[in-house]
Amino acid sequence: MATETAAEIQLVVFQLASETYGVDINHVQEIIRMQSITQIPRTPAFIEGVINLRGRIIPVIDLHKRFDLPRADITNNTRIMVVELGRVTVGMIVDSVSEVLRLPATSIEPPPPMISGIDVAYLKGVGKWNERLIILLDLERVLRESEQRQLEQEIAAGVDAR
Amino acid sequence: MSELDMSQYLGIFLDEAGEQLQQLDEAIVKLEQTPDDLDLLNTIFRAAHTLKGSSASMGFNRLATLTHRMENVLELLRQGKLSVSREIIDILLASLDRLRLLKDSIAAGNGEEGEVEDIVARLEAVLSGEAGASRREKAPGGEALTLDDVEENVIRAAQVKGFQPYEIRVQLEEGCQMKAARAYLVFNNLKDAGEIIKSVPHTQDLEAEKFDDTFTLLIVSREDADTLANIVKSISEIKDVTVRPIVLADEHEAAAAAPAADKGMDAPGARANDRTGELRVTQTVRVDVQRLENLMNLVGELVIDRTRLAEVGNGLKARLGNEELLETLEEVSLHIGRITSDLQEEIMKARMFPIDQVFNRFPRMVRDLARKAGKEIDFIIEGRETELDRTVIEEIGDPLIHLLRNAIDHGIEEPAARLKAGKPRHGTVRLRAFHQENQIVITVEDDGAGMDPEKIKARAVARGLISREAAARLGPREALDLIFLPGLSTSDKVTDVSGRGVGMDIVRNHLEKINGTIDIRTTPGRGTCFTIKLPLTLAINRSLLVQAGGRVYAFPLANVVEIISITPDDIQYVHRQQVVVVRGRVLPLIYLGQALGVAGAVPAGENYAVVIVGLAEKQIGFIVDNLIGEQEIVIKSLGNFIGKIPGIAGATIMGDGSVALILDVRSLVNDLGVEASRELAS
Repeated sequence: MATETAAEIQLVVFQLASETYGVDINHVQEIIRMQSITQIPRTPAFIEGVINLRGRIIPVIDLHKRFDLPRADITNNTRIMVVELGRVTVGMIVDSVSEVLRLPATSIEPPPPMISGIDVAYLKGVGKWNERLIILLDLERVLRESEQRQLEQEIAAGVDAR
Repeated sequence: MSELDMSQYLGIFLDEAGEQLQQLDEAIVKLEQTPDDLDLLNTIFRAAHTLKGSSASMGFNRLATLTHRMENVLELLRQGKLSVSREIIDILLASLDRLRLLKDSIAAGNGEEGEVEDIVARLEAVLSGEAGASRREKAPGGEALTLDDVEENVIRAAQVKGFQPYEIRVQLEEGCQMKAARAYLVFNNLKDAGEIIKSVPHTQDLEAEKFDDTFTLLIVSREDADTLANIVKSISEIKDVTVRPIVLADEHEAAAAAPAADKGMDAPGARANDRTGELRVTQTVRVDVQRLENLMNLVGELVIDRTRLAEVGNGLKARLGNEELLETLEEVSLHIGRITSDLQEEIMKARMFPIDQVFNRFPRMVRDLARKAGKEIDFIIEGRETELDRTVIEEIGDPLIHLLRNAIDHGIEEPAARLKAGKPRHGTVRLRAFHQENQIVITVEDDGAGMDPEKIKARAVARGLISREAAARLGPREALDLIFLPGLSTSDKVTDVSGRGVGMDIVRNHLEKINGTIDIRTTPGRGTCFTIKLPLTLAINRSLLVQAGGRVYAFPLANVVEIISITPDDIQYVHRQQVVVVRGRVLPLIYLGQALGVAGAVPAGENYAVVIVGLAEKQIGFIVDNLIGEQEIVIKSLGNFIGKIPGIAGATIMGDGSVALILDVRSLVNDLGVEASRELAS
């Protein structure tokens, strides 16, 4: 992006099961409060349902379920982070959104083999900021594979139906 | 070709003709510079040829005649028997201009007004080696009329409309006392016969008697020269009259004539307008389909807000009671509601096409197919003008082709068989479209052999599509439904038209895609009728909102057969399957929440609301917790992240901003219904 120097990335930092995560701000469309979600039958468990975002129907996924993290209660801080990636717009439920940070690219390291249960494949790396560790999510991976999983399920269902 | 068909294609024809004329214009002009360019000549020839063909097929004989002559000249040029000369280019361009005038006249709804004989004659002259022979004739005498551009254009435009220009030289008797009055009489009498374009000297001078004893008029008239002469001669004190037709030479400027004509020729113009017939091209603007879609989406939002507004009003009223401001709000809300409805309707209309767009290709197809199959068929189309949404139009063509093919190939018997059965030799296939409530109904009906449910069953069994036992249990209507299974064909012989076992399943799939239903009625020996019901539009849907398992769902109203209320005692069990008997018919019954996998069994209660949905002959009752009511909803996709969910057609936004799911009755009935009826049967 033009505003961003090559040496820096801007992150939206959020909490998920007591870990700190970050996603590239360019993918974050907006952050909204938790609202009532219409559940959709016959979808994978991590798909919470759909919400009405100013006339648009947006699917919402629960990142806890997505990453098999311990379930967290919905609190006053729970937010839906609406991210946009290519043709897909998805809301992600997170425990809270704390801040926006600029992180020097040099402080980002490749992900260690194991981080609190999340498959390393979904991570871009780990950034260090003021002694804090920020886990950088690979959104593309998270969303694309959700889609793929869905597709596989569909295929499986289709086979069953025969 | 009927007039309806003509107007259908007229716009396209005119557009194309315009393009071809433009192309010809450029190419012929270029040819003058590079006379030896054979490629260019070929291009010109092809364009002329295409134009000739399309003109002829549209029945525009003058256009066709003229282009045909042009083509002949071009052919000589191509063969090198004639070399490109200025005269020839002139004549070709003049021909083009005349073609353009004819085309404009057609576009204006006046048909092919105008003569082509003169220009054809000039082309003929070229063909017979007298290129450029017809030059402008010099008028005799000193007082020949010299025409300026405007006048020439007026004349040309008049010629196109069938008027002939004449020069009338009137000589008054010497010593005539009231020259101005005579001149006036001449003008006045000639006015009925045509339009006077010019006079020499000028009218003002004539009125002021500023002329000797002769004056010359330029008139365009449909009368012949003698008639005109006699009109003038009938006035006293006229010594001599000469009437001479005017021949205009090169006509490069002719194209510009049309606008001038409108100004200068009130009388003939008006007459022409009177005859403005069916061929008038309606004024249209081409709009990107995407724009219409966007508009439709916006209106969809409005529809939602309209509902919300009404809800807010009701909520306020409940809280505050009757208040003046609230009444105003109610009024405004009502008004917005009405306007939104109108807007919605108008935009829907803008997206509508007459179904003839699909139908018009069928007569030819039916004729060809019938001939191939050795059958004699009267094909009747009714309701061509029925309008429906373009999204629906795009999808309806293929299913109809299948149905028509089936009717011709399987339905209608061969002539001999028909005679034997005591039927007329000619079979009849009737395609009909009409509006019924909020739906379009299309029927394809034949008076052929009909379908025998037993035969269909036997075939399905033979093909291994169902078991013999299952087949035995099927009633006649269910047996008919078997034809929608992939791989079933009822014809004994395979033809290249149909009978390969593909078709009806495709028909049904196509129709499902657009929320359509198909229904069969058949009487063996008497014929078959397929009835297709389609929504007017795919974007907005009337729905029945219900509640089940604490959530709101929308049944497309098109699928709802009826709503009944039952008590737990009404529920019976057949092989563990809940059923209810409605007017002697046994319907499988299922709790909607359970069907969707979001809730368990039916909650206990004294009364159950049951929504009976139907697709063709398959009907199922869904028990719901609550009926909310009927509402217009805007269908929104769940998006590609979630993808297609069985049983769910999409989502919609309710008046309170919440999201409700729209049920896909087809897949619900298929998924569960098949199971249910299987259980029912076993």
